[in-house]
Amino acid sequence: MEMSSEDLGRHGALLYESQDAYVEFAVPFLKEGLELGEGAIVAHTRPGLAMMREALGSDAAHVTFVDVSSAYTRPARTLASYHQVWVEQLGKSPSLRAVADVQFGLDPAEWDLWTAYEAVFNRSFEHLPAWVVCTYNTNGTPDPIIDGVWRTHPDVHAGDAWHTSDRFEDPDELLGELTSEPRPLSGLRSIGFGRDLEEFRDGLARVLAAEKVSDAAVLDMLLAATEIAENAIEHGGGVADVRVGHADGRFVCEVVDRGEGFDDPAAGYLAPRPGVGRGLWVARQLTWRLEFFAAPDGFTARIWL
Amino acid sequence: MPSDRLTLRQEHDLVIGAEAGDADASRKLVEAFLPAIVGVAAHFSTAVRVERQELVQEGVAGLLFAARRYDTGLETPFWAYASFWVRKSMQELVAELARPVALSDRAVRGLALLGRARSEYLQAHGSEPTDGELSRATGLTRTQIESLQATQLRPRALEEPLGGAAEAVATVGDTIVDPVAEREYEQVLDEIEIDEVRDLADELDARERRVLRAHYGLGEPVQTLSQIGGRLGLTAERARQIEVGALQKLRERMSQAAPVRANV
Repeated sequence: MEMSSEDLGRHGALLYESQDAYVEFAVPFLKEGLELGEGAIVAHTRPGLAMMREALGSDAAHVTFVDVSSAYTRPARTLASYHQVWVEQLGKSPSLRAVADVQFGLDPAEWDLWTAYEAVFNRSFEHLPAWVVCTYNTNGTPDPIIDGVWRTHPDVHAGDAWHTSDRFEDPDELLGELTSEPRPLSGLRSIGFGRDLEEFRDGLARVLAAEKVSDAAVLDMLLAATEIAENAIEHGGGVADVRVGHADGRFVCEVVDRGEGFDDPAAGYLAPRPGVGRGLWVARQLTWRLEFFAAPDGFTARIWL
Repeated sequence: MPSDRLTLRQEHDLVIGAEAGDADASRKLVEAFLPAIVGVAAHFSTAVRVERQELVQEGVAGLLFAARRYDTGLETPFWAYASFWVRKSMQELVAELARPVALSDRAVRGLALLGRARSEYLQAHGSEPTDGELSRATGLTRTQIESLQATQLRPRALEEPLGGAAEAVATVGDTIVDPVAEREYEQVLDEIEIDEVRDLADELDARERRVLRAHYGLGEPVQTLSQIGGRLGLTAERARQIEVGALQKLRERMSQAAPVRANV
């Protein structure tokens, strides 16, 4: 089975009002893919998976079931989790179809974050032969979340038919719009970079130990900071300064480089592929948040642990 | 606030620690919010067969999930945020257990046999038969009878009033003491600790772990590469190479690209 370039990275959405409506869409969608030789994936909570296993009958044996009850923690980590599933599936089949039930919370303060996740999803897997349909139960789901579905999915299945979304927005522009501007942090102190990456890591490790950062997080920060510093050396003309401290109760490390910097809100959200660096993808997974901005003393990458 | 044992700062520190995988912080966070979790479980409406301990355990998992997602920079108090995920976790357990259980033909025939024997006994004696009497009447073993009866039990809902509606001053949930739940969350936390160790072990071999732990002071004092090499019978340069290799291995593991075939 060959897919055309138009089929790469297809990202749609299903708006459903009942479990029956969900099953009526998802089962034929996946079965059609199986008949075409594609891989099939259901990502849902445990009850949703049980429902689909039953509905798929004997075809369930050919479907990969993924429990997403605890997968939606931070967008970068969720993308990485899905990517791992795609990697495994594409090792077995030339292309895949997936239905993925999105776990939005009900706190309005985080809706923009997850709408931004849906926006960047378009870019993250745009190179893969995958047709992913994000599914949303509209019962009790607030209007702003549903509005976000139309802004982030080129095609939306609602009321028994596919619709081309006339509200779909350019993913990069929307991501940029939804990403808050980094705020100035006071109280960070310079620790310098050292002669090379190894000295930088040693120095940062001493700071992390002195700050009593938990063992579980130390390695994450060292790996992430190494990626950021390596990026600064390779693309930013070298590291000009390193600052550390605390903000909002979290350990923060800033790496200032000597280059022009970049303005790419999707940086670190693009799944590994030829021509796309892996460093920021790794750093985003390991940390709470990454921010990039132009500061008076140079382009700065801020790492929140 | 459900946890009156913590200041806002302490609460945030524990949430951040739990999110970072610090088992001690996770344990303290759960301890602080366990009464609130038990409270949610106690008022949880369920008509299916579910143990309260199971609900609490799901609630603990929901709380720890919320900690991994909660942004301490936002204004929403932690419990106001986490209670949604605690409740959702419990709802998912109930939904999972509420799915119809298909009985085998043999079990259905056994239930029919039991029902007839019970009716005949009631008619003859005017009282409920014991399991022994049912066993003699049907030829089924006591174990078989207990298993069949278990499929027919309607569980008592946690919010069901004690002593009937007229004197509903307490609920079943209110009377259940905490030690049961304490054991359950201990179990959850033990699993978390096992996971952490396994995660690291999966990626690196024993020597690589020893070098990283010693050089970066993970659970032990920081040592130089020369000291580490001395302990392991290696040169400092060889210890350095092992460290670099270990970091590269972790990086590769996290940035594996999907195999995309040439004909696509």
